[in-house]
Amino acid sequence: MNWLKGAAIVVVSGILALAISQMMRQPVEGQVPGMKPPRMADGKPNLNGIWQAMGTAHWDLQDHNARSGPVLELGAIAAVPAGLSVVEGNEIPYQPWAAAKKKENYENWLTRDPEVKCYLPGIPRATYMPYPFQIVQTHNNDILMAYEYASASRIIKMGKTEPPPVDTWMGQSAGRWDGDTLVVDTIGFNDQTWFDRAGNFHSDALHVIERFTPKTPDLVDYEVTIEDPKVFTRPWKIQMPLYRRQGQNAQLLEFKCVEFVEELMYGHLRKKTGDDKPFAAARMRWP
Amino acid sequence: MRIRGLLSLVIATIMISAYVLVVRQNQPTAASAAGRSADWAPSRTPDGQPDIQGIWTNYTNTPFEVFDEKDNPALYSGDPDGTGRGTGPGFLNDSLGRNLTKGRSLVVDPPSGRVPIMPWAEEKRNYRLAHIQDDWVNFTPWERCITRGVPGGIFPTGYGSGYQILQGPGYVAIVYEMIHEARIIPVDGRTHVGSGIRLWNGDSRGRWEGNTLVVDITNYNAKGNLATNAASQRVRSVPQSEDLHVVERFTRVDEHTINYDAVIEDPKVFTAPWKVAMNLNLEQEYKLFEYACHEGNHAVPNTLSAGRTKDRAAARAGSQ
Repeated sequence: MNWLKGAAIVVVSGILALAISQMMRQPVEGQVPGMKPPRMADGKPNLNGIWQAMGTAHWDLQDHNARSGPVLELGAIAAVPAGLSVVEGNEIPYQPWAAAKKKENYENWLTRDPEVKCYLPGIPRATYMPYPFQIVQTHNNDILMAYEYASASRIIKMGKTEPPPVDTWMGQSAGRWDGDTLVVDTIGFNDQTWFDRAGNFHSDALHVIERFTPKTPDLVDYEVTIEDPKVFTRPWKIQMPLYRRQGQNAQLLEFKCVEFVEELMYGHLRKKTGDDKPFAAARMRWP
Repeated sequence: MRIRGLLSLVIATIMISAYVLVVRQNQPTAASAAGRSADWAPSRTPDGQPDIQGIWTNYTNTPFEVFDEKDNPALYSGDPDGTGRGTGPGFLNDSLGRNLTKGRSLVVDPPSGRVPIMPWAEEKRNYRLAHIQDDWVNFTPWERCITRGVPGGIFPTGYGSGYQILQGPGYVAIVYEMIHEARIIPVDGRTHVGSGIRLWNGDSRGRWEGNTLVVDITNYNAKGNLATNAASQRVRSVPQSEDLHVVERFTRVDEHTINYDAVIEDPKVFTAPWKVAMNLNLEQEYKLFEYACHEGNHAVPNTLSAGRTKDRAAARAGSQ
C-alpha cells in the first residue's frame, strides 16, 4: 500500500502546486476576479465576437444635454439623449481656427456630416456608432474588424507595416500586443471623416492609437489617443467600455445605407414618372 | 583520400538535398495544373479547421459563358446605343505578368456553358441596362456601390479582385476588396436566420466536409443582381429572387490554389441549376486597397444628369 500512499502524495501536492501558482498569478489591473477574459491558443486574449458601445458618444464626444432632433415630425423619436463626456477632461484642444470650424460644422450638421450620406466612418468613429461590429481574430496573425454600418471594415496587420501608399477613409491600421492590450496604430487618413454628429473633425495628419483591453469575457476597455498637429494643440484621449453582444445567435446583419440616401443625394436627377411616392416630407430644422 | 571521400559525400548530400528541395517546391505548381495533389493536405487552425487563409486573386482570361452569335456584348456592358459610354466588353487584361488561364467558360454546368436564364429575366435585364439614365435602380448594385453580391462578388473582373480569407475560432471571413465587404461565415453548425430576414448577400452558413468548406446561402432579398460586372456578360444585371439558393465549395488543393465552385439555383429566374468554377490563386504580395466607391460615385449622378439634359432638349424640340 506504500506505493499508493506515495502516489496520493504526489497527486495532492501536484494539485496544491497548481492551485498556489494560479493564486500567485498577478491579476491584470482592473480585471474582475473570477471573470478572466478567454485566451486564444497562441496565449493572446481572445477578442473574437460581436461588440458594441453603449451611450451617446456617437452624438457628441463631450458633455451634452438632451436636445430636440432635426426632424420636426419625428418629435421625441429623433431627439438627442444627454450624455457624459468620453473625452479625458472634457476639453478637445482645438487650435483657434479649428474651434471656429467645429462650431460651424455643428451648426451645419445635416449638410456636412459624412454619416448623413452613408460615407465610410473612419476611426475611431466606427467603433462607437450605434451599430455592432465583429472582431475576427486569427491565430498569431491579422485581425479583422467588420462594422455593420455601411459594410465598413478594416484589417489590422500585426507587426511592422509599410507606409500607407495613399490616404483613405478608414486609414491603415497596424497592431501589436502590449501585455493583454491590443494596441492599434492607424495613420494614412484623408480629412473627410468626423468623430461624432457634433462636428468634431480632423485633418489628413490624424494619427489614432487605440488600446483594446479585455476586462471580463464580455467587457473591453477602449481607450484612444488622438493626435493631429494641424488641428489640435496637443494629443487628447477618449475612453469608453465596449460590450459583447450576448445571444447564441448574435450576428452582424446588413446596414447597407447607400440605398437609404440615394433619394437624398440623387433624387433631383431621377426621371419623374408621375406615380412617384413622395419622399419623406418632413421639414428639417437644426440645431 | 579519406578527407576527399568525406568531402564528396558532403557535396553529394548537399546536391541531393537541393534537388529534393527544388523538386518538392515545384510539386505544388505541377499539382495545381493537374487540379489536385494526392499527398498535399492543408495545415489546420488551432480549432481544427483546414487553413485556407491568405490573400487570393482570381484574374483570368476565361470568359464567363460560352459565346453565342445571338449575344449582344455591347448591351450587356452598358453600351446599348453604341455611344461608347459603356464599360466595354470586359474581357480581362493583366499587365502584371500573371499566367492567366484561358479556358472555354467559367460556367461548367450545364455542359453547354450557357446560363439557363428565363426570358422574363433577360427582358428585365435589357430594360434596366437601356434605362440607367432614368433611375439609379436600373444600375447594378455594384455601380450603386452597394454590393457585387454573393456569389457575384467573387466572379472575376478586371481590377480590384483581391480576397483576403481569415479564420478565427468558429468563423471563416472573406474580405472582398470591392465595396470593402467583410463576409463572416459561421462554421459552428448554427441554422439560418428566420425567413423574415432578407439580405443583399444572403445568409451564409459554412461547414467543413473533409478539406472542403461548403457554404449554404439563403435569405436573399429580391433587390440584388446575380452578377454585376461586364465580364459576366449576359448574366450581368440579371435579377435574384428571394428563392435564390447558392452552395459554394472552397477546397485548398495545394499551397497556392483553392478550387472554388458555386451551384446556383433560383426557380424564379433560371430554368435549371447551374454551376460556375474557377481557381483562387494565392498572391500574398497583392495589396487590397480601400474601395471607397459610394464616397466618389460620380457615375450615377452624372448618368442621371445626362438623362435629364436629354429630356429637356427633347421637350424644347417638341415645343418648337
